[in-house]
Amino acid sequence: MAHQERLPRDEARLRDEARAFLAENVPSAAGLPRSLDARIEALRGWQARCYRAGYVGRAWPREFGGGGRPPVEQIVVDQELAAAGAPEFVNVVGLDVLGPSLLRFGTEQQRQRHIRAILDAREIWCQGFSEPEAGSDLASLRTRAVLKDGHFVLSGQKTWVSWGQFARWCGVLARTEGPGRPRHQGISMLIVDMDSPGVDVRPMTQITGHAEFCELFFDDVLVPEENLLSNRGDGWKIAMYTLGHERGTAALPRQVKLRTWLDRLAAALGDRALDGRALLDDPGAQVALARAMIGIEVLRYHAQRTVGEFLSGGAVGPESSSVKLLMAEAEQRLAATAAELLGPAMEQADPAEQDEDAFWEETYLYSRAASVYGGTRQIQRNIIADRVLALPQE
Amino acid sequence: MELELTKEQSWISESVDTLLSREWVAPADIISASAERQRRTWTALVEFGALSIGHEGELGAVELCLIARALGSHLASVPFLGSAAVRLALAPQAKSLPAGMGALVSGQDAIGIAVLEAGSGWTVERAGTRLARGSDGLEIRGEKVAIEQLAAAGQLAVVATLDGEPAVAVTPADAAGLTRRPQRCFDETVLMGTARFDAVPVPGGSVLGGPGARTVLRRLMTAGSLLAAAEAVGAAGHILDLSCRYAGQRRQFGRTIGSFQALRHILADAYVRQESGWSAVRYAAAALDDGDPEAARAASIAKAYVSRGAREVAHSAMQVFGGIAFTAEHPAHRFLRRVGVRAQQFGDAAHHERRLGRELAERAARSRAGGTA
Repeated sequence: MAHQERLPRDEARLRDEARAFLAENVPSAAGLPRSLDARIEALRGWQARCYRAGYVGRAWPREFGGGGRPPVEQIVVDQELAAAGAPEFVNVVGLDVLGPSLLRFGTEQQRQRHIRAILDAREIWCQGFSEPEAGSDLASLRTRAVLKDGHFVLSGQKTWVSWGQFARWCGVLARTEGPGRPRHQGISMLIVDMDSPGVDVRPMTQITGHAEFCELFFDDVLVPEENLLSNRGDGWKIAMYTLGHERGTAALPRQVKLRTWLDRLAAALGDRALDGRALLDDPGAQVALARAMIGIEVLRYHAQRTVGEFLSGGAVGPESSSVKLLMAEAEQRLAATAAELLGPAMEQADPAEQDEDAFWEETYLYSRAASVYGGTRQIQRNIIADRVLALPQE
Repeated sequence: MELELTKEQSWISESVDTLLSREWVAPADIISASAERQRRTWTALVEFGALSIGHEGELGAVELCLIARALGSHLASVPFLGSAAVRLALAPQAKSLPAGMGALVSGQDAIGIAVLEAGSGWTVERAGTRLARGSDGLEIRGEKVAIEQLAAAGQLAVVATLDGEPAVAVTPADAAGLTRRPQRCFDETVLMGTARFDAVPVPGGSVLGGPGARTVLRRLMTAGSLLAAAEAVGAAGHILDLSCRYAGQRRQFGRTIGSFQALRHILADAYVRQESGWSAVRYAAAALDDGDPEAARAASIAKAYVSRGAREVAHSAMQVFGGIAFTAEHPAHRFLRRVGVRAQQFGDAAHHERRLGRELAERAARSRAGGTA
């Protein structure tokens, strides 16, 4: 589907430039190396090329290596990246999560040290937030850091650490303050060098078969005091800023990606027949496809309306929880529609269609995480009930 | 939260709210109110300029949707939807229209839309009502149902066939040969009626056929879908607000019920459905005002989404109220009824989903053909 956003002239020019660049440069999924290590290297190179072209960190301050442009330009570029089927940037956690936190809360020295290396993927970042006993209830985290002779001594276990095995740095939430304080105020954010002695990384295999996530173990890891981000006890505040930021900006490129998948599903339904009729000609399949499309389009309309607030300089508010809920709903509806409509055809196991089948299987399985990561569906509902509807606390 | 409204749009929204609060007749009293009292809200809206549509500096689809949302929120019983939709549909062609239709746009008449016939759907291409040549020019013959605010309408826009092709005719609602009867409706304050046309003569200046008619009819369905959806959003939003307030006060089990997670989550989901429904209407209305070729598709998406979503919101609100919402005295059912009627008008969710699904399939088939050619 050729959707042309109605953009002001500057943004339209940027969109056309990015589109031309991507048409020339996007690596095909099949062209990426199979082995994970070689793949990561190729992806680093891809991010660096995009950075040099001005498409990464476009709105970040110039003094630290960013482009210094209005935030809307990055959103224009991100949508083009998604539309072109470009692979996700390998330093996504640095770009979406820790980088914005460093820019907002970091010292001059921290920003000079890290921002540029995040942008060109020279150093990959991961986030150490969740723990086995602290998932949705993040504030109950137990990883501890005790300040001693100019170092925090860090011990504990983290989980769901994306790209942990390739990361040079980790933003770790750890309890630094004693039991006397409310639990949200006892948490700090530390910048941990993953090459430090005492850091153990164990990849975990997900239901999709990939090992994108790791568990991290910290055994008396020494973290220099200057690697504290902001003040002691500010960790919760930083994490909430960070997660809100991620929720507020991810939806627009995500809906573009979902639209490309919708087109792909329509094409797959046209290719496959069931009982002698193309699946695409079945009125029931058409309606299911339409409902998936409606979910994606409404996500776009709603995200555009709410991102306006963010772009005009406002903080990402609780409205980002609505976008997050719609995003999970749209992705899960699309993926479930694909699984249901292609299901019978998939079981016929036409060897010529193996790759397409594998794509939809993975997309379907991965979609189940959309209502869990970044704050579960239930957590988002709680945020809306508290902060938008002002309902009485539980 | 109106992030993207201009100052003027916010002003329109607030002014109409104020006007409606001042002129408000409780829904329970609308049927028994005097005809003069029933007309007062409408007169005030027309004086406010709610029908100044289509010209430079006048109201566009976004502003009309804001007004429709306010009307839905107040459960107002006025002939706005037809009057606004017909003007919005005709306005872009106003200069090239037959004289009688052009005059309709700039006039102040309330307009009723006559599309449906007994057993028909919202497809405008196959009307059984015909424009036939009589001794003295064209005449309308047939019967239309579910014409909103038929008694209040000064003019009717009638969808008919002329020489086997879709056409639109405009006739005064009190024309000779036209018999009007009230009809029951799920929401009695919507005031539906049926009209029988026994060779109702129409002057040549009040008939549009050919390709022009198709364009106007498509635009009429787009405009009507959007305004109906906007009203449904308004009605659903009001009952949702009331139920949130109730959840914050009502106590059971020694607690305020709004503190139960089961209810908090119902209300949070309803809020998301409500706000995103408005985003969809808002987007499609802006697309229509911009002359975006995708506007009709965006309106279909908005209508499909809101038709399901507004119902869902009303159902959720009623669940939160519990038994009290099941009493006739409680306003909940009135909002539910209004949502239900607006969900049907100009095509329900299934109608628009079928249409969007067919378009998707056709587009995919075309790009396959293009790929292999």
